[in-house]
Amino acid sequence: MDLNAIAFWTFSTLAVLSAIYVVFGKNIVYTVLALISTLIMVSGLFFTLGAELVGALQILIYAVAIVVFYVLVISTVPEYKGKPVDGKYMLLSIPFGFILFLELAYVSLYGAWQSATGIFDEKVINEIGNAKAVGTLLFTKYLFPFEVASLILLVAMIGAIIIGRKKEDVHQEA
Amino acid sequence: MSIPYEYYIVLSGLLMVLGLIGIIVRKNIITILISTELMLNSVNIAFVAFDMKLHDVAGQIFVFFILTIAAAEAAIGLGLIMAIYRLKKDVDVEKLTELKL
Repeated sequence: MDLNAIAFWTFSTLAVLSAIYVVFGKNIVYTVLALISTLIMVSGLFFTLGAELVGALQILIYAVAIVVFYVLVISTVPEYKGKPVDGKYMLLSIPFGFILFLELAYVSLYGAWQSATGIFDEKVINEIGNAKAVGTLLFTKYLFPFEVASLILLVAMIGAIIIGRKKEDVHQEA
Repeated sequence: MSIPYEYYIVLSGLLMVLGLIGIIVRKNIITILISTELMLNSVNIAFVAFDMKLHDVAGQIFVFFILTIAAAEAAIGLGLIMAIYRLKKDVDVEKLTELKL
């Protein structure tokens, strides 16, 4: 058993265990901590796949920036008193989850055989590096979607400020 | 690459199903949003795994865009949750039923 296999089994087991706590856990603060654990394990899986740039971005954006949003909102909304999990939907969710899993398995296994393969095989990646390959494609072929992504972030920032603002100033003026 | 890519796809499907179960089962809006983050992550794993199978890097660029959309979604969604909490003083989906006839 080589190092890559050990890393895969460790990361995937911990990711699934943390995800189960994210779904069924009682305390919401522990739920967010389990989410951080899942995100870091998924980042480790990216590293075992050889995608270093995406793994580093996963830690920087997800496990730091997005989780901070959740912690801020949880600290302002008071503690949730009701039951965390609704029992009457539990039975309903099992067939839906099973159907979704079968569909995903069918589509992914049969789709991958019929796709065309690209030029970035292991030899090319070893020569120029993963970050350079991704960055070159991002800033040439996908340059316009990249700029649109920056516009989406700007709109989301303005929208979050306007939606989340307190309305007290408006009442004082009126 | 010693691990076959099917293992990563199975893991991705498992996380996707767990996220769906979380969305169906949970009652607090914030935990429903957290479950959607789980589903987005499972898609990311599938993209990177297929990249390694098909010798391409375009999937990792889509992972980059998914990260952008996830950040925008978290900002807007949590802003909406704050607005809903200020109006209704509650985050339970069973009690937010103004649109129900």
